[in-house]
Amino acid sequence: MSEFHDDYPSYETLAHHSEEDGKKTRKVLWRVFWYMLAITIFELIIGSMAPGNGWSGTLWLKVLFIGLTILKAGFIVMAFMHLGHETTFMKYVILLPYAIFISYAIFIILDEGVYSGDSINRTKVDPLLIKQQQDLKAGHGAHHEAATSGSDQHEAHSEEAHH
Amino acid sequence: MSHSTEIDSKDAWGGGQSPLKVSYGKMMMWFFLVSDALTFGGLLTSYGFIRHKYADVWPKAENVFTHFPFIEQHLPLAYVGLMTFILIMSSVTMVLAVEAGHRNDRRKVTIWMFWTIVGGATFVGSQAWEWYHFIVGTDTGALRHVWSQELGTYVEQTVYGANMTVNEYGVPQFANYFFFITGFHGFHVFSGVIINLIIFLNVLNGTYEKRGHYEMVEKVGLYWHFVDLVWVFVFTFFYLL
Repeated sequence: MSEFHDDYPSYETLAHHSEEDGKKTRKVLWRVFWYMLAITIFELIIGSMAPGNGWSGTLWLKVLFIGLTILKAGFIVMAFMHLGHETTFMKYVILLPYAIFISYAIFIILDEGVYSGDSINRTKVDPLLIKQQQDLKAGHGAHHEAATSGSDQHEAHSEEAHH
Repeated sequence: MSHSTEIDSKDAWGGGQSPLKVSYGKMMMWFFLVSDALTFGGLLTSYGFIRHKYADVWPKAENVFTHFPFIEQHLPLAYVGLMTFILIMSSVTMVLAVEAGHRNDRRKVTIWMFWTIVGGATFVGSQAWEWYHFIVGTDTGALRHVWSQELGTYVEQTVYGANMTVNEYGVPQFANYFFFITGFHGFHVFSGVIINLIIFLNVLNGTYEKRGHYEMVEKVGLYWHFVDLVWVFVFTFFYLL
C-alpha cells in the first residue's frame, strides 16, 4: 500500500508520446481530415443539386445527410477528441448517458408533440407568406436573382421546374 | 502505471486504482461537454419539430444563403461550405497542437495554436457576415401583413431581410431558431477563441514547459473540437436538410 503514489493518474504518465508515436498519430489525423473534407464536399454537391430535383426533400436524402453527419461526429469524437483511445468504461461513461437522454428527447417530442397541434392547429401563418411559398414551389418568381436576370432565363427556369 | 494493473483484493479498497485511467481535468471537461451537448441536442430537437410543423412555409437554405464575399454571383451554400471547411481545418490544427504537446514540442504547439486561433476568429467573422446578409435581406423584399401600431390593424407592407418578428424568406420561426442556435454556437466559438488565446499566451510564456506537460492545451482542445462537433450538426440541420 505504501506503493501508491497518486490519488488519480497524473497527466504526465498517461499522455507522453515518443517521436515515432507522434508521426503515426499525425498520419491518422490527416487521414481523418481528408475523410471529413470528402464527406463535406459530397454533402454540399448533393445539397446544391437538390433544388428542382425529384429527390429533393425526400426521406432518404434526409436519412443520408443525418447518417453522414453522425459519421463525421464519430470521426471528431473518436479521433480528434481521443475518445477512441480512452478505456471502454470511459467511452460508456460519456456516450451512454448522452445517447439515452437524446433518444428520450426525440421520443417525447414525436410522441407528445402532437399536443401542441398538427399543421392545422399551429400559430396563424400570414396568407401572403403561404402564397409566396406556393409561387416558389410552382416556379413563378423563383428566387430573387432569377427575377432580376431577365425574363427569358426566367421562363426557361419555370418550365424546367414544371417538367 | 504498470503497478496499477495488478489489483490485490487486500488493497483494492485503499484507493490508488483508476478504472477510467483519465486525469481529473480531462474528465471534468468531458462532463461539461456532455451537459453542453445536451443543451444543443434539446435546441436542435425542438428546431426539427417546429420545422416539420411549418414544413410548407419553411424557407429553403439554398434560397436564403446565396451570397459570397467579393463575388456578385448567385452561389447557394458556397460560403457556408467554406466556413465549415475553416472550422474543420482549425479543429485539425488544434489536434496537431495537442499532439505536439504530448511530445513537449513547444515550438509546434505555438504554431498550431496560432493557426487554430486564426481559423476560429475567421469563422466568427464569417458568421457575422452571414447574419448581416440575412438581416438586411434582398433588394426585392417580400410582401407581408405587418402590425401597424397607429392603425391598430395589419397592413400589407414589403419587408426586407429577417428579424425576430418578420422574415422575408419564410416563417419568422426560422429566423428565431437561426439567430438563437447559430448565435449560441457562435458565442461558443467566440469564447473558445478567447480561451485558446489565453492558453496560447501561456504557451508563449513557457508556463506548461515549466509544468512539464501540456494538459491545458489538451483540455481546451476538447472544448474546441466540441465547438466543431456542434457546427457539423448545425450545418446539416440548417443548411442541408
